[in-house]
Amino acid sequence: MCETTPLKLGQVVPNFELDTYDPKTGDFGKFSLAKQLEKKRWTILFFYPADFTFV
Amino acid sequence: MTVSTDTQFVHLAWQQNEKELAAVRYQMGADPTGKVSRMFGVYDDATGLDLRGTFIINPEGKVLGMEMNYYNLGRNIDELMRKFKANMYLARKTNEACPSKWKDEGDKTLAPSAKMVGKVHEALQG
Repeated sequence: MCETTPLKLGQVVPNFELDTYDPKTGDFGKFSLAKQLEKKRWTILFFYPADFTFV
Repeated sequence: MTVSTDTQFVHLAWQQNEKELAAVRYQMGADPTGKVSRMFGVYDDATGLDLRGTFIINPEGKVLGMEMNYYNLGRNIDELMRKFKANMYLARKTNEACPSKWKDEGDKTLAPSAKMVGKVHEALQG
């Protein structure tokens, strides 16, 4: 497995995309950091261990 | 948005079944390979799960806030929103700093300067 050095505070995040479920539309979609930045938006990423557990 | 190593299909099933999530309006990201989770240092190789990490990213793509909790400790949303608001405020007021008790716009901020060295107490009172 390749080891990557995790991001540090103050670093610029390399672009990434994630498949998503969007409860607003009730449909699947994609999140793209690049698109988010194009729209001059702030992003909060909230990681958690697993669905169907407490968050 | 939220992210876990579950797929978007499980996110759908969870959001539609769990009444606590009925009001959810944010996107739920799927990172089953852990690629993005590894990039942020929250992926736990031992379990294949993500630790409770929160990251605030500004519109230039820079990470301005990080917090990480172990599995058994939940995060406080008020504190996250405090930090988020403070980061947005400081993006506009680049010569100011928000002290620990800053909660919202209008609260006391500090403008660090030579005069303040050793006088933070007085500056916070003023």
